[in-house]
Amino acid sequence: MSSLLLVALLAAPPPADEILRRAQGAVLGETAVYTLRMTVSRPGKSERVVEMKGWKKGDDLGLVRYTSPPKERGTAYLRNGGSTWLYLPSAEKVVRVGAKQNFGGGDFSNGDVFRLSLSKDYVATLAGEETVDAQACWKLELKARDRSVAYDRVVYWVRTDGTFFPVRADYYTLSGRRLKWLTTAEVGKIGGRARPTLLTMESALETGARTLLKFLAIQDDVPLDDRLFTPSALEKGE
Amino acid sequence: VRAAAWTVAGLLVAGPAGAGSREIQVGFEEFHYATGETALNRGNVLGLDDKEDLLRATLGYKESQGSLRLVFRGFVEKRLDTDVDTDWTTREAYAQYGFGDGLSVRIGKQRVSWGSGFAWNPTSRLEPPKNPLNPSLEQQGALAVRTDWIPTAWAGVILVAAESEVVSRDAPLDAPSRTRRTGAVRARLLVRDTDLAVVFSGGRNQRTLLGLDVGRTFGPVSAHAEATTYRGAELPPARDDQRFSRLVAGLLWTRDQTSVSAEYFYNGEGYSQDELDLYLADLDSAYRHSIDPALPPPIQSLEGQRYRALAAVPYSGGLGLRQHYLQAAWSRGTSSGTWTAALRGVLALSDGGTALTPGLTWSPTGHLTANLDAILLFGPDDSEYGMSPLRSALQTRVKVIW
Repeated sequence: MSSLLLVALLAAPPPADEILRRAQGAVLGETAVYTLRMTVSRPGKSERVVEMKGWKKGDDLGLVRYTSPPKERGTAYLRNGGSTWLYLPSAEKVVRVGAKQNFGGGDFSNGDVFRLSLSKDYVATLAGEETVDAQACWKLELKARDRSVAYDRVVYWVRTDGTFFPVRADYYTLSGRRLKWLTTAEVGKIGGRARPTLLTMESALETGARTLLKFLAIQDDVPLDDRLFTPSALEKGE
Repeated sequence: VRAAAWTVAGLLVAGPAGAGSREIQVGFEEFHYATGETALNRGNVLGLDDKEDLLRATLGYKESQGSLRLVFRGFVEKRLDTDVDTDWTTREAYAQYGFGDGLSVRIGKQRVSWGSGFAWNPTSRLEPPKNPLNPSLEQQGALAVRTDWIPTAWAGVILVAAESEVVSRDAPLDAPSRTRRTGAVRARLLVRDTDLAVVFSGGRNQRTLLGLDVGRTFGPVSAHAEATTYRGAELPPARDDQRFSRLVAGLLWTRDQTSVSAEYFYNGEGYSQDELDLYLADLDSAYRHSIDPALPPPIQSLEGQRYRALAAVPYSGGLGLRQHYLQAAWSRGTSSGTWTAALRGVLALSDGGTALTPGLTWSPTGHLTANLDAILLFGPDDSEYGMSPLRSALQTRVKVIW
């Protein structure tokens, strides 16, 4: 009887909050320094490719600086709590921008890039198990805690094989319309551990519109000073 | 300047950037101006041709090695169809060194771009003034020592000692200038997702001012307000016993590659219609005396100098002749970033003058950008824009970046 109970306990999925917490740490650690390439595709138009270096600390602090192409080098986005700033190197000026603004003109919002953690903004419930892209996944329903976040509802699929890799996320508006969806791919060892290295965000509103974020290098658990994530630091330039 | 040029040349040939980064920009700028005889250019005392052309070759260099950053930007300018010598101008030439995340020092000619306002920054009296006809031009810096100190994650302090000219040099105007020396401190705080900054500055040939800067985001819109108060006017007459204030308040909305902004500017020391009439009468008097054969030549010469000084007033860093302005700007880029169109308009609410600046940017590769901008001025003859000796402009700028 006790062994049956033990098997049942072992087979039971972890709580939804725990799945979400593990999934959001599967791509980037609590603190991380990374480089990535962003490719913005629009139907019938040439692609825009930007490379950048990023710093992340916890759920609230994020900084990204463009490193390529040369004409955009030095442009930077900073997220600190609920605020986002843009640094324009040609004007040497820091400009406060809306948090729901799309990041770098692609399909990711600033919130998607800087707040890869969702647990602070959303209440998670486990909605079952499904197979997505040939992967057994837990399906999480995430409901926004308030209306300050970019999406009212997110459906989130996380692998059940113990890796907790996120596989897919669908983003919905308050009216229930699906805005876009995220898929992860190209699991590879980078920064000393295996993780998805390619994030693709596709627009549900414009067929063929998509943005790829490809991680080129990641260092987890790097000590980062909070002062790096301030508009005062941004004002100093690179 | 020569030393800076040789330093840059030496660094350019010194080899690869190693572990740091290096950026080199080479460009050409051509400014074609249509000029006219207006209240500020009676009898064409500025000596402008009907069509003026300025040709510039620009050079930019930036190198980062660890905590050290070296920046140089400058241009060689030739006023075409004149015998005026080719002129070299250094926009920026500075070295910056960072001591960890909390402290950095920058020395040399540099921009000090503080203040949340887009078109007007009443809290910044450190740099040479923007060309009021085209504030989007790359600005010249001030010779300065700047220290950025970030004691905590919610506060930053900037200390600056600077020396700069008080007349805009980005226009073919032969305006007399003078040097101002400034000491300034700006304390920036981040409190509950709100930007707050307090500014205090003062020095020689300028007013001592206290400023406040506030910024906050409301959903997709960011809002800002930048205000100052000071005793005595920057525009003549000095009005030393009066206290003035300036306020810029604006909104910015961005989505994808589109941005829209609007900004209102209140210039407390700006001229009322009566004060403008007095200024115009003074201009007229100085001009008439300068050409009056009944007066001795030395007096004519002095009056000529007085006229030139008065004519330079709109370009002497006063931020505007009148009291109320409204600016709106729109830009939209293609998803690939190849094309960007922009339109900026300033409406001088006090006199009905309007300055429109449509522009187009073409950037076929990540290394090349080409801009074509026009400046179009409208308004009554005695309006601020109607008085400008530069009636319209077409600006072409090409930049190659590595």
